[in-house]
Amino acid sequence: MDDPGQTKSPKDQVLVEYKVDRVLDETSTDTKIVVLARQDGQTDSFPIWVGAAEGHAIKLALDTTVTPRPMSHDLIKSFADHLGVTVKRVVISDVKNSTYYATIYLENNGVERTVDARPSDAISLALRTHGPIYITQDVLTRRNTANLDSWLAKLDSKNINQQEVRES
Amino acid sequence: MITQMHMKGLMFDPYNNAYIVVLRDEEGTEMLPIWVGKTEAGAISMALENVAPPRPMTHDLMKSILDAYDAKVISVVITDLNENTYYAKIHLTYEDSEYTVDARPSDAIALALRSNAPVFARESVLNKQSSEELEQWLENLKPEDFGKLDS
Repeated sequence: MDDPGQTKSPKDQVLVEYKVDRVLDETSTDTKIVVLARQDGQTDSFPIWVGAAEGHAIKLALDTTVTPRPMSHDLIKSFADHLGVTVKRVVISDVKNSTYYATIYLENNGVERTVDARPSDAISLALRTHGPIYITQDVLTRRNTANLDSWLAKLDSKNINQQEVRES
Repeated sequence: MITQMHMKGLMFDPYNNAYIVVLRDEEGTEMLPIWVGKTEAGAISMALENVAPPRPMTHDLMKSILDAYDAKVISVVITDLNENTYYAKIHLTYEDSEYTVDARPSDAIALALRSNAPVFARESVLNKQSSEELEQWLENLKPEDFGKLDS
């Protein structure tokens, strides 16, 4: 839990750059795991569980798959392109009860705006706009417990899944 | 020529394992079914039912990005429905200029509902559709086929 006496300004946050390394299927549940890899020389993988549709949207962008019609995040990019808005960066900025929060930093003619988003949407958009993806040091420090909770929640289904793989 | 359409409903199509967004004109003479995927149906359903999700869904994000720069959705036009490829245009205003953006009808409708923008259909799209055929098809749907979106 946050120390209520602690104040944090977004400007003071240390940001660490990550890239999408791969999207894994969690076949036993309706989810996918987006694995982010640290880019500053240190080896670290940062997994985020996302919905199947959200994971698919990220996979399409990662593989630079061209779909016959624009998908939802292509449309967001198209809006940004039409209006001259650029995605400066996306930041995974918070974690509460095992849920990650992201902030999208936008810029248009020097006017900067931030928009709250789910990490899956933020990552999907970052890949399509070639915007960098960061995780705050604060989230990296606090993720262990968040990670553990996620793993524990998924543990049963995961074991079943592994057994199925081994047996087949 | 374009005709303003209203949301008549959203239903599950068990034969195609997909969802149908049913649009109807003011007089109820023209009906336009649009087949959409589960995720797209979910995005439309949430806006129809005014459900506020704990976190912004993709189309909520779409709207908040437009809001961040005071860009407004003026209207949405369904321009063509081919067998596999559906077309719509989203009309926006931003800083006294007008923009037209290509989109899938499902995204366009999901955004229009969140922006209180009207949805239109091009006449050629309506003409392609035989209303009689559709009504017959709808009649054959069982009541339990409706409202399955939550499951």
